[in-house]
Amino acid sequence: MAKSQQARDVDELVKNREWWFVAEKTRSSRLDYLRKAVWKKGAIGGNYAPGIKIDLKFPQLFTEKWKEHDGDPIMLQKANALAHVLDNTPIFITDHAQLVGYVGSAPHEIVWHWQGVSMVNEEIYNEQGIIPEPEQESLETLAELNDYWGGRTAVDKLARVLDPEDAVKFMSGAIGWGTPTSAVTYSTKDFDFIFQGFEALLAKVEQCIEDTEEKLQGEPSPELLPLYEKIPNWEAMQIILEAGIRYAKRYARLARTVAEHFESDPKRREELLRVAETCERVPAKPPRSLQESFQFDHFVQVILRYETFEGAWPHRPDYVHGPFYDQDVNVEKRLTKEEAIDLVGEHLIRTYEVGIFAPRWTREGLQGITGTWVWTMGGVKPDGSDACNDLTVAYMQAARLVRVSNPTFGFRWHPKVKDEVMRECFECIRHGLGYPSMRNDPVLVANSVHWHGHPVEEARTWVHQACMSPCPTTKYGCQPFRMASATANCAKMVEYALHNGYDPVVNMQMGPQTGDPREFKDFEEFFQAWVKQMEWLRNILVRTVNLGRVKDPVFFSRPVLSSVYERAIETGTDACDPTNGERGNAWVTGFTWVENADSLAAVKKFIYDEKKYTMAQLMDALNANWDGYEEMRLDFVKNAPKWGNDDDYVDEIMVRCLREVSRHAKEIKCPSNNNWPLLPENVSGNIHYSSVVGALPNGRRLGDALYDGGISPGPGLDRKGPTAVLKSCGKFDHVTDGRAFLLNQRLSPTQLSGEKGYQLWKAYMKTWADLGLDHVQFNMVDDATLRAAQKDPEKYQEVIVRVAGYSAHFVDISRKTQDNIIQRTVQGLG
Amino acid sequence: MKCTECAFEAPAAKFRYLYNARIDASITMRQCPQCQSWLAVNEMNSEAQHLVTPGEAPWGKSSGIEGLADDFNA
Repeated sequence: MAKSQQARDVDELVKNREWWFVAEKTRSSRLDYLRKAVWKKGAIGGNYAPGIKIDLKFPQLFTEKWKEHDGDPIMLQKANALAHVLDNTPIFITDHAQLVGYVGSAPHEIVWHWQGVSMVNEEIYNEQGIIPEPEQESLETLAELNDYWGGRTAVDKLARVLDPEDAVKFMSGAIGWGTPTSAVTYSTKDFDFIFQGFEALLAKVEQCIEDTEEKLQGEPSPELLPLYEKIPNWEAMQIILEAGIRYAKRYARLARTVAEHFESDPKRREELLRVAETCERVPAKPPRSLQESFQFDHFVQVILRYETFEGAWPHRPDYVHGPFYDQDVNVEKRLTKEEAIDLVGEHLIRTYEVGIFAPRWTREGLQGITGTWVWTMGGVKPDGSDACNDLTVAYMQAARLVRVSNPTFGFRWHPKVKDEVMRECFECIRHGLGYPSMRNDPVLVANSVHWHGHPVEEARTWVHQACMSPCPTTKYGCQPFRMASATANCAKMVEYALHNGYDPVVNMQMGPQTGDPREFKDFEEFFQAWVKQMEWLRNILVRTVNLGRVKDPVFFSRPVLSSVYERAIETGTDACDPTNGERGNAWVTGFTWVENADSLAAVKKFIYDEKKYTMAQLMDALNANWDGYEEMRLDFVKNAPKWGNDDDYVDEIMVRCLREVSRHAKEIKCPSNNNWPLLPENVSGNIHYSSVVGALPNGRRLGDALYDGGISPGPGLDRKGPTAVLKSCGKFDHVTDGRAFLLNQRLSPTQLSGEKGYQLWKAYMKTWADLGLDHVQFNMVDDATLRAAQKDPEKYQEVIVRVAGYSAHFVDISRKTQDNIIQRTVQGLG
Repeated sequence: MKCTECAFEAPAAKFRYLYNARIDASITMRQCPQCQSWLAVNEMNSEAQHLVTPGEAPWGKSSGIEGLADDFNA
């Protein structure tokens, strides 16, 4: 039969790899409407898109109730304030939507979390265009809120107990990133527990209160005293769970009202009535269908995002919702596959639309997105069998239709993954989404057991806690709190070794005085200085985070998260309280890591082995930011060994550095007395820190982008092909030498077209797996398209690229980041 | 060094250093302190070559199998 005109058009678009137009032409009219109706909330470069406004209703409602409950225990005070928000914040239902719930009172508004750091709150005055109209009135409201919350935010309270020297060095912005509070954080959720329904959770909480009140009637003893503190915590959980049910019922009422009184289209009317029935059911009771399952999940995510700035979205939706998909599509056939794809696509869109106001440094580090929302797909079940299901495939297919840059997927590859599923992963990559990233499940399960002692059955439940780090979704494995301040700007380790602990960019003595390198006799002395700077830098960050962690229940408090955490309910504690049985799953994110290996290798070769230059000459060149030393700089770039070329000279230095960090990782402890392994990755911190890290011996000047992250070779410096990159990365143990290692690769879309392209990629993945690497992610967009998008961004709005740990629309990232991505080597396979 | 756009002249270091085109090439981007133009500069001889516009060579040149584009002349 002859193809229709539309099919021929699509074929032509496929041939030209115009995937964004393919998506537009092949998705349903509902998905097309929903995708186009959604507001872009990620910052473009560093600024919000025109029309995006801060939601002021939320802080006003919250603060009004908060003040009424002044003097209550903090969890109770906060629960009452949040319940007041859920009861009163304006709600809406988007046309054609089947899923509801939004963090904000209107679709163009983003939520502002003012309870974290008052210093960051001041930034809001500098953001043009995001103050709601009437602007003057809104500014007055903001000023009132900021006046009240100044000194009352979590970090304001923490600052009073933090060591002053640590505080000043941390606040310099040179060594780390983030805020040590769960006001800005990400938390794992156990949906097996949560899906019992809020009514069942309420019954557990009520039982705990009843049992404890009975105990409190007993003989007076010191053992009774801590119980008094638990009662208000449980009462707070009760308030939140009840408010969550009421919040859903508000949507039910709205959907029913619109259906019965306003909607004239009978089909839409029916849909709205189904939305109403769904919201009457969940989250109060367990879900029974795919729509109820998605809706339950989304309500939980939305309510949690009213509580705190959840910068990531740890989740495994194919595993959580897969049984409902199977029941609705395959068994009971309540939904056609196309109808199910519509729901899956909408689940992605409802997530993409969530927006949160972030300070500039966060926006620069996460250009184009709101947070690193990496959803975990595939993997194995607790018994080790394949967990991929039809919904895994449906998510991949829906992702290609809606083409959102957030959430993205991380796929847990293991030897039993079927070819059909691998093909779906490849199609997403080939369509230029930059995701899924590929994760080596057996390696990462073993890694979780090694570093944190998770039992293997629990380790197998892992989700991406943020971009990269695995975390089990179990009662004692769930991580409630991982704040971004345990993020190290690692290039400073070698920079401080060169400058005797002094920071020539911020002009402060930061690290210990490890000596003037001009006086060092050999490379070993220089390396030991690096080790001391590495230990100092990690210590100061971890000290800050550990303190923030133990103080969080009293300085910030998480009634929502506590109400859905099994161990918090059982113990009557805040979910973030590290004494309630959490096993511990901490890690230090290592931004700008590879510069250390390349710089150390250049110093070893040119200064100590070959004595081509003296250390004094090198220091003169670095102090001049290589200005006037261009020939020497090029020598350091081109003739010093570089990571990623299967060159043992530099690769052995990399391995040695990792092993020093791993030794240190077991010496320092989190509040649960567990380890702090390193996890090298970058998001777009390599751009943010480009003006913070001074000139380095790898030939980089202050201002140049740092390498794009993790264990990725420097852009353009991996000259020996993809296998050499993999072999370098395979020289260390991805189980014991760190927590996870991000590897960016660019592949040629021309070379990887058709069946041959898939087979080439699959062979590459086999080598990757055989070498035991834990991660790899791909960009498959050619230079010509990216350069054309720079010239004419309006025409290329939907081009997506993998930045590092997340994907973004190319036009939403800064020029410097764009250039950095184009500079990455396009590897030929085969 | 002389700005190709406004003819402002000063030593190269007076032009604000922005970033490189590629770490292994001598072409960088500097900003003229007078007219704020972004200029392509050859660091070997401190010579401003031309104004830089989006999508401009040599910025955005992969060094892999796509090869250096013909207009990369650093």
